[in-house]
Amino acid sequence: MTEKFPPGLALQKVDERIMTLNVGPQHPGSGHMRIIVQIDGDYIVACDPDPGYVHRGEEKMAEYRNYITNIPHLERPVIHDSCNVLYPYVLGVEELVGIEVPERAKYVRVIASELNRCIYTMYWLAIYGIFLGHSTMFMWPAGDRELLIDLMEKMSGARVTHAHFVPGGVRNDLPPNFEDVCLRQVNYFEKRIKEYSAVFYDNPILIARTKDTGVLSREDAIRLGTTGSVLRASGVDYDLRTKEPYDVYEELDVHTNVMKEGDSYARSKVPWLDMLESCNIIRQALQKMPKSGSVRTKLKPNPKGKGLNSVYKRVESGRGSLGCYIVSDGKTEPYRLKLSVGSFRNLIALPYLLKGEKLGNMPSVYWSLNYWPVEADR
Amino acid sequence: MGTATGIIRALNSGIKHIAIKRFTLRYPEEKLKFAGDGYQFDPSTGVGIAGLKGRHMLFHDHCTGCQLCSIACEGVAEAIAMVKVPDQQKQNKKSIMPQIDYGKCVFCGLCVDACPFYALYMTNDYELSSFSKEGLIYTPAQLQVKPYVAQDSEIQITSRGATHG
Repeated sequence: MTEKFPPGLALQKVDERIMTLNVGPQHPGSGHMRIIVQIDGDYIVACDPDPGYVHRGEEKMAEYRNYITNIPHLERPVIHDSCNVLYPYVLGVEELVGIEVPERAKYVRVIASELNRCIYTMYWLAIYGIFLGHSTMFMWPAGDRELLIDLMEKMSGARVTHAHFVPGGVRNDLPPNFEDVCLRQVNYFEKRIKEYSAVFYDNPILIARTKDTGVLSREDAIRLGTTGSVLRASGVDYDLRTKEPYDVYEELDVHTNVMKEGDSYARSKVPWLDMLESCNIIRQALQKMPKSGSVRTKLKPNPKGKGLNSVYKRVESGRGSLGCYIVSDGKTEPYRLKLSVGSFRNLIALPYLLKGEKLGNMPSVYWSLNYWPVEADR
Repeated sequence: MGTATGIIRALNSGIKHIAIKRFTLRYPEEKLKFAGDGYQFDPSTGVGIAGLKGRHMLFHDHCTGCQLCSIACEGVAEAIAMVKVPDQQKQNKKSIMPQIDYGKCVFCGLCVDACPFYALYMTNDYELSSFSKEGLIYTPAQLQVKPYVAQDSEIQITSRGATHG
């Protein structure tokens, strides 16, 4: 009997002590995915993440649409972080088509992408709070997110899925008086998230639940290919905004937050420190931004890539490095488009982290990987 | 820091919120105010004008029936269909104008970017719910009507926290 079954469905002879549990895909503690865990008593023996329930074929869809009409559907994987998801694609198409971006547009893009990183991280933090049964930490981030969503709505005209970036700049200029409103709301937002430290990060109950659970060592983090906040929480100073600056990040003073512990606590704290850093970046960008000027280079209606050519661009998204590989064969559509997303790369670490942990620690370890199921499935 | 101090600090941080103003927007009674009059596009400069991407507005005296909005929507949502209109406009020889299905529209606004004649804009109207699918299909005559929007609530930051004033 060597018939092939999908994972988790095969009948297998196991030790009487071992029980197999399916967490998800309809479980609130798993997102749109299934985690197959084998437990011995309360301890996890083995774990097999099974993503793919929300696959929608973004990469294949991109081959049938031209460079502009690809924009609305490519931001769907992470609607809260839609500017960052679109960023590498836009940078790649700019290089393929060969257009320059005005200086002001680069700053507008930086502000939009940092606001989006905060919006995403707040949503992630809200879910992390409710995973640990801390309902205050669900309410506060979900409410304070509104300050930044309001800014993005003024800027781009949509609360989520902005479709704001285009090859050649951004779709529209900032509304009048935006700089003052942005500065005021970002300052207040920073003051608000600093209050989270007393209620959440210095809370002894959170520390007891997340300290020393799911420890990912520095060597393992590099070997498994994790990225973003997971890598930085394990003590690796790696942020694409400083290592491979794109657009105007090299003119801004970006500080990388690194923690050495590599446990769930560090992985949950690094995104919060990144949000404080994002507030700094937004303030710097508002100050250095040219006060007037064009925000969009005029593009031909149906841009074409120049001959057989390929380009790979990556940016630092809310979940880590996000790469986009575009192959063009001189037509109006890309020949091939491939997204390399941080979520999927971080998920690889899950089986290693959960081995030997208690089942009750599974949600806190799983969600601390800064994982977004829809993005991993693309 | 000891466990007891930590818990007291966490509780204290929550108790402070009794004095803070309510941030929740009471939606049907209060409505958020948006920047500008809706998303518009200036084809001469190629840059849009910031505003909410809501329901469209069609100017019959500008539309030439060139179908560029419909072509722009093809790869996105296929929400725009060109339909015959009874009124004869001078610039619109074929008498066709866009009809938009809001059951399909994703409000990306690429149709507005595609229009070279200042004929298609987006307005601040976002309350488009309907009891039937047919009710979501807006004919050129319906798109011509300027929506009435009463939106006045804005985020205000006071010493007692942010609120929707």
